[in-house]
Amino acid sequence: MFPRPIQKSAPWLQASYKVLLPIALIVWLLPLIGIAVTSIRPSSDLAAGNYFGWPTRFAGVENYTAVFQNSNIGWYILNSFKVTIPTVIGAVGLSCLTGFALAVYKFRLNLVVFFMFVAGNFVPFQILAIPVRNLTVQLGLYDTITGLVLFHVAFQTGFCTLFMRNFIKALPFALIESARVEGVSEWKIFRHIVLPLMRPAIAALAVLIFTFVWNDYFWATIMAQSADVRPVTAGMNELKGQWKVAWELITAASIVAALPPVAMFFLMQKHFIAGLTLGATKG
Amino acid sequence: MAEVTLRAITKSFGDVKIIKGVDLQIADGEFCVFVGPSGCGKSTLLRMIAGLEDITSGSLAIGGKEMADVEPSDRGVAMVFQSYALYPHMTVKDNISFGLRMTGHKPAEIEPKLRRAAEMLQLTHLLDRKPSQLSGGQRQRVAIGRAIVREPQVFLFDEPLSNLDAALRVQMRTEIGKLHHDLGATMIYVTHDQVEAMTMADKIVVLNGGVIEQVGSPLELYHRPRNLFVAGFIGSPKMNVIPGTASPAGEGRIEVTLKDGAKVTLDGGGATVSSGQSVTLGIRPEHLTPGRVGLKATVRLAEYLGSETMFYAALADGSEIAVKADGLAKAAIGSSLDIGLNPAACHLFDANGMAIIHGDLTR
Repeated sequence: MFPRPIQKSAPWLQASYKVLLPIALIVWLLPLIGIAVTSIRPSSDLAAGNYFGWPTRFAGVENYTAVFQNSNIGWYILNSFKVTIPTVIGAVGLSCLTGFALAVYKFRLNLVVFFMFVAGNFVPFQILAIPVRNLTVQLGLYDTITGLVLFHVAFQTGFCTLFMRNFIKALPFALIESARVEGVSEWKIFRHIVLPLMRPAIAALAVLIFTFVWNDYFWATIMAQSADVRPVTAGMNELKGQWKVAWELITAASIVAALPPVAMFFLMQKHFIAGLTLGATKG
Repeated sequence: MAEVTLRAITKSFGDVKIIKGVDLQIADGEFCVFVGPSGCGKSTLLRMIAGLEDITSGSLAIGGKEMADVEPSDRGVAMVFQSYALYPHMTVKDNISFGLRMTGHKPAEIEPKLRRAAEMLQLTHLLDRKPSQLSGGQRQRVAIGRAIVREPQVFLFDEPLSNLDAALRVQMRTEIGKLHHDLGATMIYVTHDQVEAMTMADKIVVLNGGVIEQVGSPLELYHRPRNLFVAGFIGSPKMNVIPGTASPAGEGRIEVTLKDGAKVTLDGGGATVSSGQSVTLGIRPEHLTPGRVGLKATVRLAEYLGSETMFYAALADGSEIAVKADGLAKAAIGSSLDIGLNPAACHLFDANGMAIIHGDLTR
């Protein structure tokens, strides 16, 4: 059996495993714990330099209320949804189609097209910032939700296509051939055979892209300026305050902003279950 | 119902020629088996008939109609895949009716066909299950059911039994045979298992390296193999082949001197050889009798199967010979064995492997 269960290894190994694992866990989670604890600290703690100690009192309720009262965070979260959901639908939907085409059809430039999708991922988007900004201005899409969505879809589809193409390629090709012999049209093959079998891939990709786009700060600051468009990552800036940085509010806002991707993960989790193609072919 | 005609069919993948010119006529309602070793092109040929592979050159007609530019679905064929290719997210019922539903057939039209196919294949109680809840044999039957409901003119089977265990394979073999009898459709069946070919076929097509070696009924191939390849491929255990030289022995007879010095005189049956011509003598293990005067060999291995005993022995020159004896025969390993051989059952092949004399016992 691999990996070998820890219960079967030497006692000293078992002991060190039991000691090291919690330590590693805490070190790993330290930033997250720090943010969570700071978000329930009263501002006096921070003023007094009590950054990592025990909070003097629980100020969670007032901090979180303040976040919603002192800023437009509710509005920014809505903006984030307006950007993220269409992007996820657009990128995953498009890549289902591109992935199907690249995995199923043999045409001369198949690999070239596929490599172009893949190669696009290697272009660091920092060097694209200025041309993309100019392009959006010229197209009249600067500082609009539509602009953000379009560019996110364009940037994410490359990776999604890579993912989907490889997933479809791994499905038994006989399923498609069998349907072809039965006279089922290509679109119906995609719709009724391939798409249902892609559910785990769609769920995984949806969570991934949701998280990518939700957490995006770079394009949010480059392509959005007004409060009407700004997603939550950029909007949080507003809490910085004029004279001092209100860390207890920023951390509370961060926690709020981080909740939707976590929720998304748990929502989609049951669709990840593998083994959907079990029983398709030989047993 | 339709006959299938292949004329000078070739297939290349890039520079590699897979099928090198196949001419074949399969009659309406015939059960035709393509058999051959891996990579001989038998599956490719089947897929070309199905329309899943393009035909590089040559012509294919089903029911007298040219098929080169016809879509797979319009050819009137149904195919059963080796891997079954069941749609895992659909129930048995949906799997069987999928093709009909997707091609605009009305539910009222589909239902009786589905019922009939399910009854024929004893699937009625399984209609609401998913493929993952079925055994291998049941999955195979669903795959066949999917082909039946389309009421095709030609059924194509691509090694359908190779994923089943031995007992189930025998059972499905007879079921497919029965199905052929009931439906009366033309069936083309690909297998590498010569037992399947022998038991099921009306006509066997032996393929090797992209060309047809021989076409004929099972017994024709067994008794009158056209060349060494077919002789070795058809029949289990394999035919023994012993190299030697042949000379005319007068009165139309031919004397063969084997490598170990033993001499066999065969009835030439009209065939002639030049003196000292190098030949290969072929004789099936079941036509050799241990304990009679003839060849002398040393026993290397004995397999006692109960119903029969197989001896694997070596002649004086070291060439291997297999002998099939009745189940009570015994011989110690290392002991010497006299092997009687029936001259009438001997096949003779020339240096190119083509048959000169058929050891056809049915003559």
